[in-house]
Amino acid sequence: MLKKTPLAAGIAAFATILIAGGCAVADAGKTGKVDYTAMTPHELAEYLIFEANGGGFNLSQEMQEGGTARDRMQQDELQKACSIIGDGSPDAETAAAIRQAAQESIVYPEGGIQLGDWQRGRELAWSGFGYRVGHNYDDHDARPVGGTCYNCHQFATDRTGGNVGPGLTGYGKTRGTSDAILKYVYDMIYNPHVYFPCTHMPRFGASGFLDEQSIADIMAYMFDPESPVNE
Amino acid sequence: MFKKALLALPVALAMGATANAQAPEDVLQGLIDALPESIYLNQSEMNIMMMPDNPALWIAMDGEELFHTPRGPNNVSMEACDFGKGPGVLEGAYVELPRYFEDTGKVMDLETRIMHCMTEVQGFASDDPVVRNRHNNQSDHMQIQTYIAMQSNGMEWNNPLDHPLEKAMRDAGEVLFARRAGMSDFNCYACHGQSGKRVRASQLPNANVPEEWSKAISWPAFRVGHDHVRSSQHRVRGCYYQMRQPGMLAGSDASVALISYWTDLARGTPAILPDMKR
Repeated sequence: MLKKTPLAAGIAAFATILIAGGCAVADAGKTGKVDYTAMTPHELAEYLIFEANGGGFNLSQEMQEGGTARDRMQQDELQKACSIIGDGSPDAETAAAIRQAAQESIVYPEGGIQLGDWQRGRELAWSGFGYRVGHNYDDHDARPVGGTCYNCHQFATDRTGGNVGPGLTGYGKTRGTSDAILKYVYDMIYNPHVYFPCTHMPRFGASGFLDEQSIADIMAYMFDPESPVNE
Repeated sequence: MFKKALLALPVALAMGATANAQAPEDVLQGLIDALPESIYLNQSEMNIMMMPDNPALWIAMDGEELFHTPRGPNNVSMEACDFGKGPGVLEGAYVELPRYFEDTGKVMDLETRIMHCMTEVQGFASDDPVVRNRHNNQSDHMQIQTYIAMQSNGMEWNNPLDHPLEKAMRDAGEVLFARRAGMSDFNCYACHGQSGKRVRASQLPNANVPEEWSKAISWPAFRVGHDHVRSSQHRVRGCYYQMRQPGMLAGSDASVALISYWTDLARGTPAILPDMKR
């Protein structure tokens, strides 16, 4: 779902970030004598992830979304375009392509954007469970996947949130629930690159991280007048 | 082990003093004095107060005994091992790792070099618990690693980049640091590109600020919340876990590349060894 999204076509033409070529690297691997110094940094990084001594990660582990760790480590076009050394911004052309591809990735619920159950949304916003792999694998049959929202945002102040992203305390109270603001928040959760190309925020809808119901519930936590976010 | 019962903590500090006159808490204080506004450096007054009694100092004492005792099928001590400055020379060795080693033709970090010493010099099998167990206070590995690392306390990070392989690994590490992948699209900048940021209650170090980054990479450190001494490799594993990316294999060239880059980022800033972290 996330890997081969419509992003590819839009961005590929504009991306200025090197897409690490594997040809020279793979050939070197077959000879049994690999010269790291003959590779570009990008080629070597890819080689170290996927090839060196069987790979630098536990690549055969199965992922919750299907496929293996090897698949999850593959970058899609957005991830490639936004892997910028020094954490700078993409150039204007790339940014425009990212925004357009993000817009095309967003799927709206049938019947329009709805607010769900704020109490469930509150727990989902708090939960850091889901999609972690490696040494302590998240079993999605055991618990619902959370949104990890509090990692970076403050909501109701009875629980401590991070400040990597903007504070969202009182969000609905100060902004109302017009169609425009609901669409904005839905878009931001689904694929925030539509407004902020190469933002650090995950694409919770486009990646399949959160399902439609969970997005509706988290939005209710932000907008419902009864929610402690809006006290 | 018997020494632990007899020696008081000042002796542990004196052991550190053979490498450097400063105690680890003094090194940290120097960084704070250089950057008093840093929330990350100032985040835990309690940890700073507890550093003279850092449990890692005891762990290191066990490591000292293990290091100097002939062990393994070959019955030799680790004094025969070269950590980059000649056999048995530990002073300042750790802050100049990872580095290229002629005998393996590889760039190695402290953890992989200790494993190399255990298997190639002391003759332990690679699946021996001595070699395999690497994560806890009780592991030989963490005890030895902490002992070796603290012989570089207060010295400036200075991993060499003269050899082409050292440079190649550092540059690949820079790419890995910026590489976004996985369910959350995260790279290392997601948490380590700005100052004054928190994930929930945890203050995050900024990789672009050497004072903060020096503390960030000062492993081994006693992690209070874990009640264990932890390594650089353990930190790397935890970061990839939180990024929803697959488990990086400890000792892989990918992990050494990343650690080469993150050490380079702290170049010229003194190391806090052992440190104490939340």
